[in-house]
Amino acid sequence: MRPHRNLVRGYAQDLRLFGSPVARVGLALMLVTLLVLPTVVQDDFWLSVLIYSGITAIGAIGLNLLTGYTGQISLGHAFFIGAGAYAAAVFGGDLGLPLPVWLLAAAATGAVLGGVIGPFALRLRGHYLAIVTLGLIFIGEHIWRNLRDVTGGNNGTSVGAQATLGPVDLGALKLAGETYSRNQGYFWLVWGLVAVVALLAKNLVRTRPGRALRAVRDHDQAAEVIGVRAGRYKIGAFMVSSAIAAVAGALFGSYQQHVSPDDWTLLLSIQYIAIIIVGGLGTVFGSILGAIFVGALPALIDEYSSVIPGVATEAGGDGFISVFALNQAIFGLLIVLFLVFEPRGLAGIWFRVKAYFKAWPFSY
Amino acid sequence: MRVVKVALAVTVALVVAACGGAGNDKGGSGGSAGAPNKAAGFDGKTIKLGVLTPLTGTVAVIGQPLTAGNEVYFKALNASGGVAGKYKVELVQEDSQYKTDIAVQKYNKIKGDVVAFTQVLGTAPTLAVLPQLRTDKILAAPASLDALWVREDNLLPVGGPYQVQAINAMDYYLSDGGGSKGDTICTMIQDDVYGEAGQQGIDFAAEKYGFKVANTQKFKVGTENYAGQIGALAGAQCQMVFLVATPSDAAKIWGTAAQARFAPQWIGQSPSYTGALAKSAVAPYMKQSVLIVAEGTEWGDDSVPGMKQMVADATKYAPDQEPDYYFAFGYNQARAMTAVLEKAVELGDLSRDGVLKASGALGNVSFQGLTGDYRYGPAADRNPPRSSTIFAVDPSKPFGLKKVKYNFTSPAAKEIEFKKADL
Amino acid sequence: MTTFLTNVFAGLALGSTYALVALGFVVIYKSTGVINFAQGGLLALGAYLGYTFSNNLVIAFGFAILLACLAAAVVGASVERMVLRRMVGQPPFAVIMITIGLLFVLEPLITAIWGFDNLPVRNPWNIQTVQVGQLVLGVRDLWTIGITAAVVVGFFLFFRYTRMGLAMRATAFDPEAALAQGISARRVYATSWAIAAALAALAGITLAAGPGGLQPSISSIALAAFPAMILGGLDSPAGAVLGGVIIGLAEALTRGYQDQLFSWAGDNVSVIVPYVLMILILLIRPYGLLGTKDVRRI
Repeated sequence: MRPHRNLVRGYAQDLRLFGSPVARVGLALMLVTLLVLPTVVQDDFWLSVLIYSGITAIGAIGLNLLTGYTGQISLGHAFFIGAGAYAAAVFGGDLGLPLPVWLLAAAATGAVLGGVIGPFALRLRGHYLAIVTLGLIFIGEHIWRNLRDVTGGNNGTSVGAQATLGPVDLGALKLAGETYSRNQGYFWLVWGLVAVVALLAKNLVRTRPGRALRAVRDHDQAAEVIGVRAGRYKIGAFMVSSAIAAVAGALFGSYQQHVSPDDWTLLLSIQYIAIIIVGGLGTVFGSILGAIFVGALPALIDEYSSVIPGVATEAGGDGFISVFALNQAIFGLLIVLFLVFEPRGLAGIWFRVKAYFKAWPFSY
Repeated sequence: MRVVKVALAVTVALVVAACGGAGNDKGGSGGSAGAPNKAAGFDGKTIKLGVLTPLTGTVAVIGQPLTAGNEVYFKALNASGGVAGKYKVELVQEDSQYKTDIAVQKYNKIKGDVVAFTQVLGTAPTLAVLPQLRTDKILAAPASLDALWVREDNLLPVGGPYQVQAINAMDYYLSDGGGSKGDTICTMIQDDVYGEAGQQGIDFAAEKYGFKVANTQKFKVGTENYAGQIGALAGAQCQMVFLVATPSDAAKIWGTAAQARFAPQWIGQSPSYTGALAKSAVAPYMKQSVLIVAEGTEWGDDSVPGMKQMVADATKYAPDQEPDYYFAFGYNQARAMTAVLEKAVELGDLSRDGVLKASGALGNVSFQGLTGDYRYGPAADRNPPRSSTIFAVDPSKPFGLKKVKYNFTSPAAKEIEFKKADL
Repeated sequence: MTTFLTNVFAGLALGSTYALVALGFVVIYKSTGVINFAQGGLLALGAYLGYTFSNNLVIAFGFAILLACLAAAVVGASVERMVLRRMVGQPPFAVIMITIGLLFVLEPLITAIWGFDNLPVRNPWNIQTVQVGQLVLGVRDLWTIGITAAVVVGFFLFFRYTRMGLAMRATAFDPEAALAQGISARRVYATSWAIAAALAALAGITLAAGPGGLQPSISSIALAAFPAMILGGLDSPAGAVLGGVIIGLAEALTRGYQDQLFSWAGDNVSVIVPYVLMILILLIRPYGLLGTKDVRRI
C-alpha cells in the first residue's frame, strides 16, 4: 500500500509552497488566468477595477505582514503609500528612470520611512501605537501640503513615471503585431507584481523571520526570553511593510498619473485594515482575496444598483439612500459581520473548504 | 439661441440639397451626405453626453443642482428638436463621489458610450481624468472656475475664472465699495488649490492697483473653531477681508466673526455662498458686512434674457428646484457643450476628433447675460469672460442675493493672462 | 494681552469639548478595555437628535439636550448589548475594528435621515456675546465650559459615592473579583457605553449650537480627541479632562500665533499640534500623563 498522497514526511516538505499536485494545478490555472484575462475582458471599466484591486492587494500584503504576522497595529499605512507615489513622481517622472529603478527607489523610500517610524513600536504598544500611527496620517498630510516642490502642494502633482522595462513600454504594449491598451498592459504589470510580492512575503513568512514575527506577535517578552530579538524584528516588520506599501503607492501614482494630498486619508488606512480583516489576518492569500472582494464590491453594487430597491442612482432620483452611502454602510456591516462570525476572514473560509475536501470522503 | 439653431438647420438643409443627396441612397444608416456618421455615443439619432459628478457625499450639495442645470437645459433643447434641431441629447450620469480613483474608474466605464463629457466636477477629479482625456482625445467641461482649464484643448471651461472674480472684487472695493489703497486689506483662504486660485487673483490685483495684502489666514476645510484666525485678522485690524471658502466653513467663519464683533468688509468668492446662509442666524451680520462676487444676476431678474429663459425652463422641467446659482452654472455648461455639438454637426463629424476640432473652431459663445461671453477656439487663443457681479445678502430675495453692481469688468481683469499650466 | 486671553478662552472652550469626548472614551476603555472609534458617530448622532428635538419638535433647548443625551445613551447601550457582547474575549484589535465598522454604519445612516446640508440648531446662545473688560466672550463658549465643569464634577461624585460608580470601578480593576462580589458585569458594560454615548451627545450639541450650524463632518472632532485621551492616559478620567484641556489650549494658541511664531512649520500647523504634542509626551511617558503602567507577566 502506498502512503496517501498528502502524507508529509519531512519539515521541508511541509513548508513547500506548491507541494501537492492539486496545488500545482491551481498555480498553473492562476498563471493562465493572469496572462489571458485582459485579452478576454477587454472592457476598460472592469480592467481598471481589477488594476486598482491589484494595487490594493500589494498594499494589503504589506499591512498583513505588519499587523497580521507581527501584531503591530498601524493606522498609518496611507502615509507610506503616499510616500511611494511621490517617490515615483520624483524618480520616475522628474528623473525619467525606467520601471525597475523607480519601483525599487519607491520601496527604498518606504523602507527608510518605516525605519524612522519603527522605533516608536518599541516604546509603545497596542492602543497607544495605534493612535500614534493615526497621528502619522495627519502629520503626513501636513507635510504633503507644505512640501510644494515635491508634492505640488494642494494642487497635487502629475506622476510621469512610465512603465518602461528596457524597450518594452507596458503602457503602450505592442507584441507580435498586436497592440494592447494601457489598461491591459497595466493589468499585467500590477498583477505580475502581486505575484512577485506575494511570493516574497510567503517566503519571508514560512522561514525563520516569519516564525520570529509570529513569536513577537504572540508574546514579545517571552520571545525575547527564548532569543528572538523582538526590537529588531518589529522595526524590520515596519520597514518591509512600508516598502511594500510604497511600491503599491508608486503603481497607483503611475497608473492614475495624478495624485494629490487628498488621496492619502485615514479612510484609506481603515480600508486596508478592513481588507486584511475581511480577507484574513495573518495570511497572504487572504490579503489578495480581501482586496479583490472590497475592490470589486462597490463596482458590483454600482452595476446592479438599479435593481436594488430604495437606492437613488441619479441626481434627484428617488430612493432614500445613495449608492455611496449604501457602499459605506455595507462596508461597515461587512467588517462587523466578519469579525463577529468569521474572524479568520475569507481565507479562513477557503481553508475550511480545502480541509474538507482534503479529507474527503472522510470529512466531518 | 433659437435664431442660431434655425440658421444652422437651414444651413445643413442647404448643404444637403447642394450635395444632391436628398434621397435615401444609403438606407437607414448614415443618412445623407451632410449628416455626421455614427460614432461613440452617437447612434445617428441621439447624442449621449457623460456627467461625472458627486451625486452623494458632502459635495453633492453642489453636484446635485449643477447636474439639474445640465438636465433642464437639455430637456428644453430636446423639446425644440435637439442639437441642430435633429439630434436629441441624453445624459449618462455617474457618481464620482468627489474621489479621484472613483472618477477614473467611472470615466473608464462610460467613455465608450459618450461623445463628450458635459460635466466633470471638482479640480482634483478633473486633474485625475485629464491625462486619459488627452490620450482618448475626448472633450470634457469641468465644473470648476479654476484658471488651469483655460489653455487645455481637451477641456471646455465656462465662466470667468476665480482669479478674475478676485480682481474684480478688489476693483469694486477700491472704487464703489468705499475702500482705498491705504486700507488694511487681508485674505482668508482655504488651504487647497481652490483657495490658492483666489489668492493668485488678489496678488495680481495688488500689483496692478498698488495695495498690499497685510495678512493672509489659511484654514483647513472642516475646522470647527475659527477663533484663532478671526483673532489674528482682528488683531491686524483688517478693514477688508477677501474670503475663499465653501458654504459650511464660510458660515462658521462669519459666525465666529459676528461673535467676536469683528466687522470688516467681507467679500466672498462665489462658492462661499449658498441660499441657506441667508436664512441662518448669521444673516443679519452678513447683510451688514458681506458682499459676494460671482457672475450673472439675481434669480428671477427678468431684465436679463438668459435668466428669464432659465427660470422659465426650470419652472417647466424642474419645478422643485430651489433658486441656486450652481444650477445656473450647469445650465451654462450645457449651453457651451451644445454650441460645440452644433459646430460639430455643421462640420459633419461627431467623432472624438470631430468634437475637438469643433471646439477649436468655435468662436464667441454668448450666454445671454447669465455669464460673460466666452471666446472659445484653439486653447492657446481662448479668452474667458472678464466680468463679474457684486451681490449683497438680502434674505427677502430668492437665493438671498441682491445685485449691487452687475456684469462689470475691471481694467486689471482685462490684463490678466492665462498661461498653460504644467499639468 | 487681550489676544492671548481671547485665545486662552477659545482654547478652554475647545478643550471642554475634547474633554467630554475623551472622558467618554476613557469610561468605555476603563470598564471594557475597548477603544471606541464610533464615539464620533455617537457625537454626530446626539447633535442631530438634538436638532430634531429642538427644531422639529420644538422642545425647549435645555430639555432637548437632556432628551438627546438619553436617546444617545439608549443607542450606546443597545450597541453594546447587540454587537460587543459577542466580542468578549476577542483580541483588542478585532474590537477596535468593530467600532470602526459601527462608525461606518452610523455616518450614512445620519446623512440618509438628515441629509448633507448645513442645519441651524435652534438654541438660545447662537452668536451672542458677553463683554468682560476688553474681552468679548461667546455665550455658547461660556456655557460649554460651565456645562463641562459641572459634568466632570458630577462624574467624579458618581464614581465616588454611588453604588453603580463603585461597581464600575471594581469591574475595571478586576472583573472576576467583582463578579464574585455579585456585581453584574453586563450591567456595568451597558452603563459605561450609555454614559460614554451621553457624553458624546452633550459634546455634539453644545458644539452644534455654535456659529455655523450642524453638518455631518462634526464627527471628525472626535479624531482630535484621541490625542487628548492618549495624552492623559487611556484609563484615567482625570487624565482625559486634563488632556482635553491641554490639547485645546495648544491648538488654540498655535492657531492664534500661527503668523508670529509658527510660520516656519508650514501653514495651518494647529491641525497637527495635538498629534505632535501627543507623540512628544508619549516618548517621555509611554502610558500618558496619568495612565497606569501596564504590568506584564510572562
